[in-house]
Amino acid sequence: MTVTRRKFLALSAGGAAAATGLTGCGGSRSSLGAADELSMWAWTGSVNDDLIAQAAKGIQGTDKKIALTRVGGDYKTKLLTSLAGKSMVPDIVGLNDDVATYFPNADQFHDLHELGADKFKGDFLEWKWKLGITPENRMMAYPMDTGPTALFYRRDLFEKAGLPTEPADVAAAAPGWNEYIELGKKLKQAIPGSAITDNITSVFQYALAQLPKRYMTPEGEYIGDGDHIRQAWDLAVRVVKEGLSANAQDGSTDANAVVTNGRLVAFVAAVWWAQLGPKNAAPKTKGMWRVTPAPGGPGNRGGSFLAITKYCKDPEAAFAFITWLESAKNQAQSFLDPVLFPSTPASYDDPKMTGPDAFFGGQKIVDVFAESAKKYPGTYFSPYDSTIGDPIKAELVNVEIGAKSSDQAWRDAQRLIDRELTRVGAI
Amino acid sequence: MAVSDAVRPATTVRGSDTDPAKRPNKFRQAFPQYVAVSPFFILFAIFGAFPVFFSIWLSFHSWDGIGQLKWVGLEQYSYLFTDPTFWKSITNTLIIWVLSTVPMLLLALVIANALHNATRFRSFYRIAYFIPNITSVVAVTMVFGSVFSNNFGLLNAFLTSIGLDKIEWLSQPWGIKVAIATIVAWRWTGYNAIIFLAGLQAISSDIYEAAKVDGASPRQQFWQITVPLLRPVILFTAVTSTIGGLQIFTESQVLFGASGSIGGPGDGGLTIVSYLYDNAFGSNQFGYGAAIGWALFILIVLFSIINWRLIGGSDDERLTKRAARRAQRKIAAERAGKEYADAH
Repeated sequence: MTVTRRKFLALSAGGAAAATGLTGCGGSRSSLGAADELSMWAWTGSVNDDLIAQAAKGIQGTDKKIALTRVGGDYKTKLLTSLAGKSMVPDIVGLNDDVATYFPNADQFHDLHELGADKFKGDFLEWKWKLGITPENRMMAYPMDTGPTALFYRRDLFEKAGLPTEPADVAAAAPGWNEYIELGKKLKQAIPGSAITDNITSVFQYALAQLPKRYMTPEGEYIGDGDHIRQAWDLAVRVVKEGLSANAQDGSTDANAVVTNGRLVAFVAAVWWAQLGPKNAAPKTKGMWRVTPAPGGPGNRGGSFLAITKYCKDPEAAFAFITWLESAKNQAQSFLDPVLFPSTPASYDDPKMTGPDAFFGGQKIVDVFAESAKKYPGTYFSPYDSTIGDPIKAELVNVEIGAKSSDQAWRDAQRLIDRELTRVGAI
Repeated sequence: MAVSDAVRPATTVRGSDTDPAKRPNKFRQAFPQYVAVSPFFILFAIFGAFPVFFSIWLSFHSWDGIGQLKWVGLEQYSYLFTDPTFWKSITNTLIIWVLSTVPMLLLALVIANALHNATRFRSFYRIAYFIPNITSVVAVTMVFGSVFSNNFGLLNAFLTSIGLDKIEWLSQPWGIKVAIATIVAWRWTGYNAIIFLAGLQAISSDIYEAAKVDGASPRQQFWQITVPLLRPVILFTAVTSTIGGLQIFTESQVLFGASGSIGGPGDGGLTIVSYLYDNAFGSNQFGYGAAIGWALFILIVLFSIINWRLIGGSDDERLTKRAARRAQRKIAAERAGKEYADAH
């Protein structure tokens, strides 16, 4: 075959077009999706399907439609990749409870204050609303669900152990962690092998989730070596030393097994645990569980947010969609499926939520969690919370498996945190 | 390309000023071939070469994945060398590598020898041994995860049934390493056995027959003939196992990844690649992740050289070019000396 200049030009133009098409750098559009649709990314189980199906036909009061992509796998990595590419970025994104890690890059998202968010402020739990706002008072994220905590317990096993069985009595018997540990010891005597936590880090994290302060102050001062963290740490170590932990580390097959075989008799956890734990792992225990206010007071762990990226085609329409999706009425519907606990107090009286839950023996569980959500003091999450929290959790595991003494592990954790925070320039 | 000399006079006859340009030029003649092979190079440049060079560039920066890249020079590397977790990940990886590779290659050699001498159902055995390799590593790891599970695992159930104590496979540092090494060995033993088998079949049966005539026992045949003649194949498997072993990731990721601490309790299963992954995609320290990647690259090169030295090649393979030249010169000199002596 001979190649003329014309043929060559045609070929190489085709090749170049193919290459740019493959790398995705060719388009002039900066946001993903067709002109009349707003693209949205969220992970599986973060929004209600019926509501999205409605918005896919058209967002009320606008000429745009919603096109949702459920991003599986490592959601955050995919989101960061898309933002780093500065092209084909979704218009609306779901953000998890690590929302503060995006604060240093808040300029990648629209300031929701400017879109009129303050009008809706009164509808939401005050502390939840604050979590989406950066210390510079830029509202980066709009509240979705929350994760109020409570004490889950097996009524049948409490009865067998001769302990109080009704939720109000259990709450009265264990108002604080000390009383709860005493209760756990009685349980263990009556039913050998009983545990009140799956592992050491759970106790620490749920004790931390009740505190009004965490690892850093909004001014950027590190307080993760303070007494409040050390007390939560010591509490977790004590639960293990008393033999009340099942030593089933997160993510292991044991973590499900301790629920299935009834070793985990009681557990302080967030509302979503019901789904991840007993309902999925141990469906046969249906009707045996109850919920009651947690020892140590109300707390919150988890909950997510929505944000509008700066690449958004039509921020007003996106904002209209977000406020509609997170209205009290629609949040109540999201509680039925996929079990997202609303951040709008008005939802708690919605008939969709106030029904009895057969899994909890017909108990009206929303009351317990609503109390916890309303009374939770709120806290400040810093962009470095996972940088600080990961070494602490890792060292706690070292204590549980007997690799280190509590004091040694604490020192090692603090040393590592100091190093990491210095590296990222936080202190 | 076939540029015939006969063509040249013709162009000269046409005789214009643009004469040299009109001459068919080698590059233009080869053009179709270049175009035909270009898709690979274009794709390689985009998906292969560019990421490689970008990761070098990235390792000199601090980057959280969204904002601007910040130039930090060699800081990532100096942090790396004083990072105890990084050194721990290297130690872990090496221990897991030794725990898996040594038994794996020995077992593979034995299996290959058995397969070679088998007379019945040979294809069946070959397929049977190869199957673990094509099974999804994630699925395998999940199954092994339940086998090794601390409280309710199959292995512990077996241990307690014969009156032994439970071992906390998935929370003690050594237990974790043994578990991961087992998964790796289970998956790759058959693969290496098939490669050894190919090597075995290339050894001439004359040698074995001669050995038999000389009265060599099967054991002697194995160690004196099979193993030495298989040396190039053993080198190949050792080098590939080293590269694979230093990149162990999926096993610890599936066993412990969901818990946020990717190395499992006490970081017992933290390998170099899982540390890289955790830094780049867990804590969004992409610059540091890139630096770990390059440290891993250097490590792999180093270990491949060590392998080559230990197991690799016969003496002539080891000769460098200079030594070869020196040897040739010596032979030439000897020959010349001999000729001189013959002449006189």
